[in-house]
Amino acid sequence: MSGPADIEYTGVRELRGPLVVVEGVSGVGWDEFATIGLDSGERRHGLVLEVDRDLAVVQVLEDTAGMDRSGTRVAFSGSPLRIPVGPGWLGRVCDGRGEPADGGPPVLGGAFAAVGGAPVNPVHREPPTEPVLTGVGAVDVLTTLVRGQKLPVFSAAGLPHLELAVQIAAQATCGGEPFAVVFAGMGLTHADAAFVRDGLAERSAARDLVLFLNTADDPVIERLLTPRLALTVAEDLAFTRGRHVLVVMTDMTAYSEALREVSAARGEIPARRAYPGYLYSDLASLYERCGRIRGRPGSVTVLPVLTMPAGDITHPVPDLTGYITEGQIVLSAEAYGAGTYPPVDPLASLSRLMRKGTGAGRTRADHPAVAAQLIAALARSRQVRELADLIGRQALSPTDLGHLDLEDAFRARFLAQDTRENRPLEEALDRAWEVLLTLPDSQLGMLPADLLAAHRHPRGEAPP
Amino acid sequence: MTTPTDALDPVRAELLRTARASADAVLGRARADAQKVLAEAREAAEAVLARARELGAADGADAAGRERTRAVQDAWAAELAARAEAYAELRARIREGVRRALARGAVPQDRLAAAARALLGPQARVTGAAGGGVTAEVPGRRVDLSADTLADRALNRLGARAETLWGPP
Repeated sequence: MSGPADIEYTGVRELRGPLVVVEGVSGVGWDEFATIGLDSGERRHGLVLEVDRDLAVVQVLEDTAGMDRSGTRVAFSGSPLRIPVGPGWLGRVCDGRGEPADGGPPVLGGAFAAVGGAPVNPVHREPPTEPVLTGVGAVDVLTTLVRGQKLPVFSAAGLPHLELAVQIAAQATCGGEPFAVVFAGMGLTHADAAFVRDGLAERSAARDLVLFLNTADDPVIERLLTPRLALTVAEDLAFTRGRHVLVVMTDMTAYSEALREVSAARGEIPARRAYPGYLYSDLASLYERCGRIRGRPGSVTVLPVLTMPAGDITHPVPDLTGYITEGQIVLSAEAYGAGTYPPVDPLASLSRLMRKGTGAGRTRADHPAVAAQLIAALARSRQVRELADLIGRQALSPTDLGHLDLEDAFRARFLAQDTRENRPLEEALDRAWEVLLTLPDSQLGMLPADLLAAHRHPRGEAPP
Repeated sequence: MTTPTDALDPVRAELLRTARASADAVLGRARADAQKVLAEAREAAEAVLARARELGAADGADAAGRERTRAVQDAWAAELAARAEAYAELRARIREGVRRALARGAVPQDRLAAAARALLGPQARVTGAAGGGVTAEVPGRRVDLSADTLADRALNRLGARAETLWGPP
């Protein structure tokens, strides 16, 4: 954290909710970081929300409980929040504003970086080319995550998005290259926070993980800092230390609600569903911090998780996220209701950069064709199911019946996976083949004939 | 006197023989069925046992993995606690060192007072701080140049160099 500046302001005009109104200030800027000293010796932290002539409105991160006007001193740091960066973060568990929650000393670093960061200059961006393998078959095969990509998970209340986020954070790898995960939990219940800590214990013990946990009862302003801290730490680990870094941010809807609350406290004019008008650019300022930079090692890949209130994909948060990100992994209540984990809806999910990160030399030569054929077959399967609802199963042709059974085979043999199963890509692709081969060759036109023959009759087995 | 032979005796004998043969066949089939059921049951038991062994081994491996992770975590937690202790000790010693230095006049009180007045203006009310150093005030503003604050600021500036306490220099 930034050190306390020299001058402390003692003219506190008002304490209101989480806000402190300080008078008599000069040279204080918007978004500046402040340290608040109390008579008890306690130190709290805050951000400048508003400045008007000699008045500054400071939002206290730890809340104003127990503070009084006469004994409060506010020192401004002269710049927005800066944090130390470096490998000292690896293996650490911190709260949403970067203070240790693991009993260790403060995180120290050789350099400081502003948490606001700056999106990667588009001219300096390198196009993504390699995959990040998550060990989750449905993601690796059908919506491959590519290094430097931003790929959100769209979920709804009650679906196992946190389990999936933790599983991906625990299992993800980059083909043996230096790798790290930065996990930013926002607005988590204490039970969820404990679940995340337990689920990522192994990775944390291996010093491959930085964990930020902002719980639901933490101040909202802290929730706005959490993803920025995570990305600042990730950028240093990637572009200075040469690691490929996966940043998992969950739940972005909780983040956006915090943004709405702070915006209301600032007295800003509300836009759609009372979110501030700059929700789009604010989300973009986070998501666009991913990528690869020409001439620099490492990459930052972002996996934001968001819940769609009432499953509404047109809600501002998923809607605006969808404009910025490169695809989405959609979780389906229907699949989860049928007892499938992970309940990924393959037809609504898409990784726009998948083509750049899959195929020979990256994953497996047959990967793109298998993924495309599986999606096409599932689309046909869904059409057939609708047809069967109209005309009855007995009126379907044998080919249609084959497609009807395909979805069950897909869920049972390919999609279903234990929350602790780290499924290798090879096995996931073989399972995809197994599902596809339940259809006759005539229905598998997207697969090259030689590939199809090789899988239909393995080990030189003669065709009947 | 000879017992009169019953004309139905051969019929009875034949019926008895057929019944016995049938009973033997039923018995044979039942025995064969029993053998089959037994064999199947043994096979199923073997399979269940093999599966149980597999599950047990997997559970054991899981438990061992969890135990290993827990041990590594505990070791890391202990190391972090030791680091925190070392860092707190460093802070205490720096504070003590700054207090001693100020007490023996390494930085004259006047220079600290002048520094405070440079920040707040000549009308600032300067008072000596407990433990050394000064604090200065004008209405609405305050400057803390006490020994402990100066020490803490120096420690913060040390940054990652403090890691030499627990890592290679």
